[in-house]
Amino acid sequence: MQDQWTVYGTALSSRLFMGSALFPSPQVMADSVRASGAEVVTLSLRRQSPETGAGQAIWDYIRALDCRLLPNTAGCHTAREAVTLARMSREIFATDWVKLEVIGDDYNLQPDPFGLVEAADELIRDGFKVFPYCTDDLVLCRRLLDVGCEVLMPWGAPIGTGKGLVNPHALATLRERLPDVPLIIDAGIGKPSDAVQALEMGFDGILLNTAVAQSTDPVTMARAFAGAVESGRLAHHGGVMPERQTAQPSTPTVGTPFWHENP
Amino acid sequence: MEHVGIAGAGLVGRLMAWRLLREGCRVTLFDKNDRHSRDNAGLTAAAMLAPYSEVVRGERIVFDLGRASLETWPRWLAELEADTGEAVFYRRQGSLIVAHPRDEADLERFERQLRHKVVPQPGAVERVGPDRLAALEPQLAGRFRHGLFLRDEGQLANDQLFAALERALLGKGCDWREGVRVERVEPGCLVTGRGPQRFDTVVDARGLGLRAEDRRLRGVRGEVLWVEAPEVSLDRPVRLMHPRYQLYIAPRPGNLYIIGATEIESDDLGPLTVRSGLELMSALYSVHPGFGEARVVHTRAHCRPAFMDNLPRIESGEGRMRVNGLYRHGYLTAPALLEDALGLLAGKPAGEAAYPELVHGGA
Repeated sequence: MQDQWTVYGTALSSRLFMGSALFPSPQVMADSVRASGAEVVTLSLRRQSPETGAGQAIWDYIRALDCRLLPNTAGCHTAREAVTLARMSREIFATDWVKLEVIGDDYNLQPDPFGLVEAADELIRDGFKVFPYCTDDLVLCRRLLDVGCEVLMPWGAPIGTGKGLVNPHALATLRERLPDVPLIIDAGIGKPSDAVQALEMGFDGILLNTAVAQSTDPVTMARAFAGAVESGRLAHHGGVMPERQTAQPSTPTVGTPFWHENP
Repeated sequence: MEHVGIAGAGLVGRLMAWRLLREGCRVTLFDKNDRHSRDNAGLTAAAMLAPYSEVVRGERIVFDLGRASLETWPRWLAELEADTGEAVFYRRQGSLIVAHPRDEADLERFERQLRHKVVPQPGAVERVGPDRLAALEPQLAGRFRHGLFLRDEGQLANDQLFAALERALLGKGCDWREGVRVERVEPGCLVTGRGPQRFDTVVDARGLGLRAEDRRLRGVRGEVLWVEAPEVSLDRPVRLMHPRYQLYIAPRPGNLYIIGATEIESDDLGPLTVRSGLELMSALYSVHPGFGEARVVHTRAHCRPAFMDNLPRIESGEGRMRVNGLYRHGYLTAPALLEDALGLLAGKPAGEAAYPELVHGGA
């Protein structure tokens, strides 16, 4: 099925974004990205002394994957830090895409909504294409759109928890109220069925890292997610039947004698 | 008598030189630093011999090399003691893996991945509750609800090993060229600033020093703290689960503890960062409050040389061999890996190596 979608004017076919951290080795990371079919790979600069280029070897290796790079600002706790790191990333990777993370709580790695809007505003004025990692709060999402974000990345659950979509109601509200904004579920996806659920609900894509990188066999798990995303997307197009309270036989029962019917 | 030139006096260079001298070779050893230098990945490690713990994030072959090396170390250390008259601290009392209550999912994942990759020998991987934990490490009593005891794991004192190898090499007449950087390694030839030096065979053990020539190699930064904690007494290495890394505490004689964890994709050789220091120290304090009053003896940071698959490589060609990419598994894998390397140097065909998948042509 031809099913392209667009983020900031770039057409993508895969609905999976992959993170490059926490894999047992760069080789396993590369094999997993290929197995997932992802066209966008996120990467983090924070702890690699970007000003000295000390992470060059791994950056070159990720570049060689031939995916679009989405540098993130993981580990930043203030808008200022995030903006500085985003600018450094733009120079190193020659891309104006940035996955903006401003962390408000360290143990949950929960986004700081206030710092996020502030940093997004500044970066967009500076010409960046910002992919903000945000909570599922509708008002926050609106504010991010107001400052010029064209894509949003609400969380399913806190980063690395693998809890899946913990608040499907809030996510469904987002989808319903922002029907034309590309929404990518970022963080919290633990298993392929979570990915199916997100795509069935009409989310445009998912970003994965821990669920693949820390699985027992990352390459196999990457393939599982590739299948899940495709399945979820097909289900969305196919139109999921509504749930109902009483059973309905799939075979019409017109010919059944009434005394055989249940009360 | 064969004359072997070795580039690099780190863990691999020293061990190779020592084994070759014992086999009756003449050895000339080059290193860019003097022999007391600490500018060395091998001296930044905690030297745990932990095949079970490491297979969780690594390949099965690392486990196999580690198990084999655990058998070789006692023999090699006994021979080293015979050569030098001094014993190197070596313990094999197992190690403990613990997690704070909110990180218990990580402990579960650790065990699940371990059991998926290897079928442990009976009793080698034991789930422990509070009582057993208290029996193993009385000072951890009441601090953790669950843990894993990995019975067969061990550790050695790498600083003592480096010093003992230095004495053994000098005692056996190794020609140690200190402060001489090897710029290129060619068949039967090491090229230094003073021109080409010819040998029957050369071994390239430069570790990260190879990076300028070989872009497949990268540095993976690690940072450790040494603390002296008179109030704490642990008998065996303890690993603590954490959402982003595993902290390890390796006890050494004299209430010394080496604490490490960090693994950063970076060639940066600068000193310990505040952030890493904070993470290491707060995790340390959470294991036992007695660490609160410990003295920080020193901090070290270095980069482990690693290939993109994080597996070691032996590259063997005419008149030269390269051994590199031991990553965070130097002490864990070196004896088994070097037995293959020594066999190849002695003329054994690559197909007869114990780990042929690590042996590559065309050094």
